Amino acid sequence: MKSDNNLTQIYSKLTEIFRDVFDDDSLQVTPELTAADVDEWDSLNHIRLVVSIERAFGLSFSAAQVGRLKNVGEFAELIVSKL
Amino acid sequence: MTAESRAIAWGELAVGTAASIDFVVSAEELQQFATLSGDCNPLHVDADFARSKGFDDVVVHGALLVAKVSQLIGMHLPGRDSVWTGLALQFRQPLYVGREARVEAVILRLSPATGMVLLKLTLRAGEVLLAKGEAEVLLVRS
Repeated sequence: MKSDNNLTQIYSKLTEIFRDVFDDDSLQVTPELTAADVDEWDSLNHIRLVVSIERAFGLSFSAAQVGRLKNVGEFAELIVSKL
Repeated sequence: MTAESRAIAWGELAVGTAASIDFVVSAEELQQFATLSGDCNPLHVDADFARSKGFDDVVVHGALLVAKVSQLIGMHLPGRDSVWTGLALQFRQPLYVGREARVEAVILRLSPATGMVLLKLTLRAGEVLLAKGEAEVLLVRS
């Protein structure tokens, strides 16, 4: 139950970050979301996204960890594993 | 202008690494910057007007201080391979022509996943804090 609550909070925070980075207040952040679903998700915005997530959660990722992520759900799992 | 920017590898950067530049803005440079920027507000070019607003003299443009931050980032820390991607700066006190000032950057955070460097910025004239803030700079790694 506690981990469900954590995940809900993580998605809430991720939604705030995604909407800010991509300047889209209607963006719905789901576990299935990928770069292909967001027009503005280019390499520079990807960097902005990762840095914003690192700062918001007080975490640091390696290039390999981020490089193998396939969707937002895997990113959320990575965050959970580091909290 | 032929000065060479310093090249620093990612592995040479560490939290706490610092760099600074000392500078003095001359009346001529202030006038040149007013022309370049198009900001000829009398606060920057008319001493009597500036004094009427409570300042000691004409005030150096905040954007000229940002230009010094640009020099520090582009030439020294992280230098040649950097791309500036973000800036937040608060201006606290005015800088006047002829006053010695220093801009300093200290690495606050490194993001190995992205190559992003977060810098803490401070600008001072002696003990007087002129401005402070943060800059995000991407080190483009080959």
